[in-house]
Amino acid sequence: MHAFHIHYRNTQGTLMRILTAVSRRGLDMPYVQACADGHDQRASLLLDVNTKQIGQLCRDWYAIVDVMDVRVATPTAEMLESATGLPNAHPPVSASAASKNVSAAMA
Amino acid sequence: MLRGAEIFLQCLRAEDVDLVFGYPGGAIMPLYDALEGSGIRHVLTRHEQGAVFAAEGHARATGKVGVAIATSGPGATNLVTGIADAKMDSVPLVCITGQVRSALIGTDAFQETDVFGLTLSLTKWSRLVKTIDEIPSAIAEAFYWAREGRPGPVVIDIPTDFLKAKMEFAGPVKFTPKPRMSDAATEAAFGDKLISLLQKAERPVALIGAGAKLSGAISQLRRLLDELNIPTFATVHGLGAVEPEAPYYLGMVGMHGTRAANMALHENDLLLVFGARLDDRVTGDPARFAPHSKIVHFEIDPAQLDRVRACELPIIGDLARTIPAVHKKVRGAKLPDWNAWRVVACGEDRAELDPRGLSQPTIRFLDELFGRLTQNSVVIADVGQHQMWAAQRYRSASPRGFITSGGLGAMGFALPAAVGVQLSKPDATVLCVSGGGGIQMNIQELATVRRLNLPIKMVIVDNKYLGMVRQWQQLFYQRNYAETDLSDNPDFVEIAKAYRINAVRVQEDVMREYPVTEDTADALERFLRSPEPELLVFDCAPEANVYPMVPAGAALSEMLFEEE
Repeated sequence: MHAFHIHYRNTQGTLMRILTAVSRRGLDMPYVQACADGHDQRASLLLDVNTKQIGQLCRDWYAIVDVMDVRVATPTAEMLESATGLPNAHPPVSASAASKNVSAAMA
Repeated sequence: MLRGAEIFLQCLRAEDVDLVFGYPGGAIMPLYDALEGSGIRHVLTRHEQGAVFAAEGHARATGKVGVAIATSGPGATNLVTGIADAKMDSVPLVCITGQVRSALIGTDAFQETDVFGLTLSLTKWSRLVKTIDEIPSAIAEAFYWAREGRPGPVVIDIPTDFLKAKMEFAGPVKFTPKPRMSDAATEAAFGDKLISLLQKAERPVALIGAGAKLSGAISQLRRLLDELNIPTFATVHGLGAVEPEAPYYLGMVGMHGTRAANMALHENDLLLVFGARLDDRVTGDPARFAPHSKIVHFEIDPAQLDRVRACELPIIGDLARTIPAVHKKVRGAKLPDWNAWRVVACGEDRAELDPRGLSQPTIRFLDELFGRLTQNSVVIADVGQHQMWAAQRYRSASPRGFITSGGLGAMGFALPAAVGVQLSKPDATVLCVSGGGGIQMNIQELATVRRLNLPIKMVIVDNKYLGMVRQWQQLFYQRNYAETDLSDNPDFVEIAKAYRINAVRVQEDVMREYPVTEDTADALERFLRSPEPELLVFDCAPEANVYPMVPAGAALSEMLFEEE
């Protein structure tokens, strides 16, 4: 696993372009976090990739016009923990007629 | 106070736009309403895909930014293939789409699509305009990114209410990007290493791609190649960058490249790549691509490096800057004598095509046509067998003289692209070569050709099949011609006549005589010199194949030839 930290200007679509560079390769993204970083923004991703893919991804990210910097690092313990310790899923389910949600909607 | 639409058009003019292609509709109507008197000529195509391909044709022929306009929803989605095409082939393109009014965005309103979202992975940059104030800066930034570095497509999606709203307009603005870390190589960094690699090389070659043309560094490149005098070949988009008569030039490389080019690319020990992506159609099996080679990659877009294999020396930057720097170093260096290698690579026993292939009637036909073209002519090829035959037979030193959808391989490209080319180069002979399948994907643009009275010379090579797919079915799927039979094609001559365009049909038998008869020669001359649009249907043998051919997954040295 490798951690990628991408520093970018928070313009329309830039985060999506960063993620698309990953998704077009069919890679899983077990950890993604985007947050403010000074005046700009930083996305951190955890990816299971080989050396060649690291090079390709970094170059693809640099080609995005509002990406300013890309760094590859060892994953932090928090990233690894978040990637494996997902809480229980809560899929959308139909509400029964007696449920509070429906009652509220019908009120 | 000016309307948003008027501001929009003034900003386009400030970006040197005087010709746009499009198709009106609900959300973009305010822009059309302001067109008259704007100084911008709008060309109505008969489909949005026709508009975007025509804009691409204009951009590819001139190097200027092409502009296509469509309405929201289906108008915008019809642009998508052209946007993808421009991305693959590095074409500067600005697509302008109307959007439903801002209050309705996200409500699945009539003709609403998420244009911004659906084009994200196909564009260099895009913007959903969120206020009327943003119009000038959005246009300035869009054109900047369309042109900058490796050119490509951008999208401006503008809600219809901002086109109708009014504001005080101080004039167009200029976009200045914020600086970021530059990764461009410096002359000092790459020069010495390149010379060292050249001095150690025994079998160096040069591969020329589209980047050489896009950089505008053709004369510098030719001077460098003359100095190096090493076997040189081009991708389909690199055709015309090198003088075809240059003694070291081996023609097109890749899946349907010449034998000499493919063998040299396989055997070299130093590969200089000038602005090419090294995609699978050029490399064959990546694992067996240029097995002895060290790669020096001149490239403006770092994202294109190391895609197939790590290169020994990346030289990132505009070729207009890096080539002269290299040339300076080369001139001052003592380089090996590569004559023995050149004699092998360029020798007669590696003839440009399989000699048996030259008597193939379609090749003869294209040779007869191309041989009659003047220097400023432009050939636009669609996608399929005819495209590869045309690329193999194209002989011109005109860098923007051969235009095709190379990376995406979008059938239906040629006819609308020819519209854009002819409008950009009214005095040029524009020869549009399509197949019986591709022409029907945008055949409605015959109406545009007629309406504008564009003297485009249109050729349909009709073999009653989706020929390239059929060829693969023959060679790799035991002749199972599944759904490639087009024997019920309409009579293209009659269709052309319905559009009031002159049309004739030529049987391939006339090309079996060598030289062609005087009548045939005269007919071809008349066809090419006519001041009117003309269509010629060339009836081609159903099972004619394009050779040489490197099967998918094979190495470049494993070319197939006729009757193997």
